[in-house]
Amino acid sequence: MREDWLRNDRLPHIYCAGCGNGTIMNCVLEAVDKAGYERDNTVFLSGIGCSSRAPGYIETDSLHTTHGRALAFATGVKMAKPSLNVVVFTGDGDIAAIGGNHFIHACRRNIDLTVVCMNNHIYGMTGGQGSPTTPIGKTSTTTPYGAVEVPFDLVDLAVAAGANYVARWTSYHVTQLTEAVLNGLNTPGFSLIEVRCQCPTSYGRRNKFREPKDYMDFLRSHAVLKEKWERTAKPGEELPAESFLVGEFVRRARPVMGVADET
Amino acid sequence: MKLEIDESRCKGCNLCTMVCPYRIYRQGNRPNRRGIYVPELDRPERCANCRLQELYGRRLCGICALICPDQAIRWVKEKPYEPMNVVIEY
Repeated sequence: MREDWLRNDRLPHIYCAGCGNGTIMNCVLEAVDKAGYERDNTVFLSGIGCSSRAPGYIETDSLHTTHGRALAFATGVKMAKPSLNVVVFTGDGDIAAIGGNHFIHACRRNIDLTVVCMNNHIYGMTGGQGSPTTPIGKTSTTTPYGAVEVPFDLVDLAVAAGANYVARWTSYHVTQLTEAVLNGLNTPGFSLIEVRCQCPTSYGRRNKFREPKDYMDFLRSHAVLKEKWERTAKPGEELPAESFLVGEFVRRARPVMGVADET
Repeated sequence: MKLEIDESRCKGCNLCTMVCPYRIYRQGNRPNRRGIYVPELDRPERCANCRLQELYGRRLCGICALICPDQAIRWVKEKPYEPMNVVIEY
């Protein structure tokens, strides 16, 4: 049961009304429960940010670490005791901005971690500053005339750096997301699941997605299934503006580190 | 099985009104004690999970509980229906 993993004395949590992080927490707990993990040998880690408050609401051992260094701490946990199941919650500010180097090297070493990146395109907790994943033309407090830089594509980065399982879903696709997290937990080696989610308070308010529903509609209409796109797209055809691919991007069996049987 | 919205957790984002295929949730129109417009249940006995979970032995659908960011939606077990004996007092 998913409810058994929640710390009921800490709820309701501090996320804003309609924040996607709570949805992603539900899906991850559902997947962890389906994978049959025990509460005593599961560790949740997080860095700093809205997303990183999630382990505080889960009744297991957890580490709330410094900004961007969640993967470094997770590497330590996994190497010290490879029998533990380690799940990392990070945000885009953690994994793409300050912890970028930790991220690519965790992918390169292929440590047996499951990383769930809650990508809300903005630094939500500190007041809506532009992050490396803010799309071009979107407003934030540090990009008042629209962001001009090309955003990071975390999925491509992880595939290039050598992760074993990479998928991208949104907070609208809850069943597919649960399935992807379950696959990530069962794949040995580094698995990244990027989840695009809504931030109605900091991102939506400045970008004409004032209600949580508006951004959910955007996610539903602009998410293009990868398999369908590869089947139907003409050669050289570009994705429509603001659309993005969702689905399972890579699943392979490169040599891994930190699996209990091999050490 | 019966659907239940936990009023102490719900923050009134109305995401459940968007995803339910049976449109069981309706936007609330009366603020509760904390000033939050909690969605109302519109004929919740239509819910597929409420009707058929016992029969199938697994969770069906369940999108509303998964998408609820505040973990406010859950199913509670109901007692089986018992016909009441009416005692007539003379």
